[in-house]
Amino acid sequence: MNTKTVGYIIKRILLAVLTIWVVITVTFFVMHAVPGGPFNSEKAITPAAKQALEAKYGLNKPLMEQYVTYLKGIITEFDFGPSLKLRGRQVTDIVFDGMKTSATLGLAAALIALIFGVFLGAAAALNRNRFADRVIMVLTTAFVSMPSFIMGTLLLFLLSVRFMIFPANGATAGGLVLPIITLSLSPMSHITRLTRSSMLDVLDQDYIRTAKAKGVSKWKIIFGHALKNSLIPVITYFGPMLAYIVTGSLVIEQIFAVPGIGRSFVKCIINRDYPLIMGTTIILSILIVVMNLVSDILYKVVDPRINFE
Amino acid sequence: MKKIIAVLLVVFMAAAVFSSCSKKSTGISVCLASEPDTIDPALNSAVDGATLIAHLFQGLSKWAQDANGKLVIVADAAKELVAPVENSDGTVTYTYTLRDGLKWSDGKDVKASDFVYAWNRAASFDLGADYGYMFEVVKGYDAMVEAKDSGEKDKDGEPIYVAANPDAKLDAVADDAAKTITVTLSSPVSYWNELLAFPTYFPVREDVVKNEAWATEAATYVCNGPYTIAKWNHDSVIVLEKNANFVDADQIKMDVINFYLSDDANNMLANFKNGSWQLIDDVPTNEINTLKKDYPNEFVIAGQIGTYYVCWNINEEILPAGKITGDKVADEKARQEIRSAIGLLFDRNYIVEEIGQAGQVPASSFVAMGMTDADGTEFYKNANKAAGNSYAGYYNVDASAMESNVAAAKAVLDKYYAKGDDGKYTDFPTLEYLYNTSEGHKAIGEYLAAALDKLGIKMNLTNQEWNTFLNTRKNGDYTIARNGWVADYNDPICFLDMWTTGSGNNDVQFGKGASADLKMYNLDLTAYGYDVNVENGTWAETYDVLISKIKGCTDNTKRMQMMHVAEDMLMATGCIVPLYYYTDIYMIDDSVSGFFSNPLGYKYFMYCTIK
Repeated sequence: MNTKTVGYIIKRILLAVLTIWVVITVTFFVMHAVPGGPFNSEKAITPAAKQALEAKYGLNKPLMEQYVTYLKGIITEFDFGPSLKLRGRQVTDIVFDGMKTSATLGLAAALIALIFGVFLGAAAALNRNRFADRVIMVLTTAFVSMPSFIMGTLLLFLLSVRFMIFPANGATAGGLVLPIITLSLSPMSHITRLTRSSMLDVLDQDYIRTAKAKGVSKWKIIFGHALKNSLIPVITYFGPMLAYIVTGSLVIEQIFAVPGIGRSFVKCIINRDYPLIMGTTIILSILIVVMNLVSDILYKVVDPRINFE
Repeated sequence: MKKIIAVLLVVFMAAAVFSSCSKKSTGISVCLASEPDTIDPALNSAVDGATLIAHLFQGLSKWAQDANGKLVIVADAAKELVAPVENSDGTVTYTYTLRDGLKWSDGKDVKASDFVYAWNRAASFDLGADYGYMFEVVKGYDAMVEAKDSGEKDKDGEPIYVAANPDAKLDAVADDAAKTITVTLSSPVSYWNELLAFPTYFPVREDVVKNEAWATEAATYVCNGPYTIAKWNHDSVIVLEKNANFVDADQIKMDVINFYLSDDANNMLANFKNGSWQLIDDVPTNEINTLKKDYPNEFVIAGQIGTYYVCWNINEEILPAGKITGDKVADEKARQEIRSAIGLLFDRNYIVEEIGQAGQVPASSFVAMGMTDADGTEFYKNANKAAGNSYAGYYNVDASAMESNVAAAKAVLDKYYAKGDDGKYTDFPTLEYLYNTSEGHKAIGEYLAAALDKLGIKMNLTNQEWNTFLNTRKNGDYTIARNGWVADYNDPICFLDMWTTGSGNNDVQFGKGASADLKMYNLDLTAYGYDVNVENGTWAETYDVLISKIKGCTDNTKRMQMMHVAEDMLMATGCIVPLYYYTDIYMIDDSVSGFFSNPLGYKYFMYCTIK
């Protein structure tokens, strides 16, 4: 690694910290600007009791003071405080509980998408314009364009109500199969199409022709030369996709009742559970920023021609 | 390729086997709602939380089914539900003796002082529990929640209040040696035994709840009821197992109850249809008609004590410019008449049959169906009885009466508004209907707007996200809004005391803002033995006084009569437009027997068996 690369990485890390600070600040003030509050409910408590609760959680202090206290809490102790609605529970526990499920789901889906996507893409490219290629292309077009809530509902109806193969309930381990499939279909189709087109591109290159002329075996050409070089666009796509997919999908978590972060995120906003909103936003933004950074660095590893300028 | 297919097949089959295994767990699997906000008996104010707590705790009394299947309140931790002893100052005292052999789930003895500690905790100013006011009938409560200005100001410049009497306690005394609890109420309360069966009155142990997080994990949750928490995967499932230390353990039939935590009606239905869950507490609204047909025995519509209604903001002007006289009282009287007339324009039968579709009952009064009057009859059937109408309530909700209702409404509106050639009113100010975002509320709003549009009255619909909506409605920043109220206990007072001037639920803004000095209400309580006869008083001088008299009244017949008076006052303002009485819909597998639910919507699974 040369100094240029190190400099680039340091610059990117500083930028990442700045991004996260901006996210914290904007979220904090926008969240408080939205009408409503954590202690609102259909059956109202007395104004005095409400004030007592606000005082307990420091919500009666000036906003700027709350902001400074909050920042200090995270920087010095990584303390996100207690949830205001789920009384007695800590934000960190709630976020990590949800993250565990969402990340398991996301990682499994991403892995399936990657393996099957590359495999199908390569298969399609090697069988260009033949029957297998056509089938793969039609299916992937359908999967890319079908919204996940339709796909999810369809799978739920077919595989868990009509044929009862998988449970409909994401609380059980078997119940994660359908959400994983639903979550993986669209990125898998993307990867298939990316791999196919870049593989076709690579197969036409001079060095492949040279390799063929030299008598290198077909499989060695495909795995040793063609596939590796056709993966660059896949990596470009995979990094942000991974960040997106492991941070939870509200729609899929709702359809399959998966106890993930997406569901809890929406609920805490409705509840105006300020510490939980902040905690979830911060942890998700850290994840996304880090994964984008990692995928940027990976380009360099895969393709040394890429210059960090 | 073959290998890959083989591996895939194995994974697929393993998953299928795994998933079918999980279906066959012993016990019953149910889904009521998503993760409860809390299952601390003192803090809980939700129906799903109350159901869980009813399985985990034992109060002095409980809901049960008698031999005929009728719901009754019976003694539980108490040996018997005693009659009160009247004191010379009008207060009443109850002395309960605990049964022998009561244990906490960790094996320690349940003591009388655990109850008294729990009550004081739940009622305390500092805890700020939603249902702290459930103790307002107990002597000493008022002093406990009295607030005083601390002299400090918060960020909005509002004074910060603190407890005025931090050491105040409820008038309840425990004798651990004799196992007795002696509690004094400010006055006799007809629903006291029911209150004792309410989660807020359940005991907790001081050393357990000292840990603020005690009610968030299975390991720290110590209870005294039929079940304990065996497993709690947040947002996913709470598993209850029979409590071996429970005094009546031999009567509990169901060994394990899995409470799955989800609020997606479509997902619930999928799990019900494939047999994973035996009871679901919600179904997709657009499926109701199909389900009624396909599952005639499993689709259940149960009564629920609640009213869906529309409320007006009393301070909003609806008179046309030319008809405002400037005399505040005369103008408000005109508005009362207009609002009441508008309330007659809505076809409640259409709303429940075409929009609600869940067996709701058209409402002609605010206090809901299901409340009992002094003589044991239904309270709502006696509403507005003095008027001597052929129908119950404040207007006729029969489908056949719709035409005459509209004619009566038009007769009133004609007095105030100008009409165009097409017979439609031309100068009715455009109304704004506020509702919280939901398909069902929207459909009702659209119907109301269409009904008004026939007469030329324009009503725009505005929807707001739930929390924002609560704020807007509470602050009175609306003209007309969607509203609903579900009872906490079987007494009409919980529909009436919410409308006192200072109540946090006074969404109509009675006696607030411009109407604070509106001297136009009458209250004569001399017939009930009170020295109260106010003519042309403010809302605070009349309605607030009436509510406080009702709360202090020891004669149940008089008390109920005065509650009818209060409802008459309320309905005369025209600010409250009841649409229908709520129902509770759920689906229960026909293999389950022994299940029951109470009018508050709590569901009981402990006596269930599965065929």
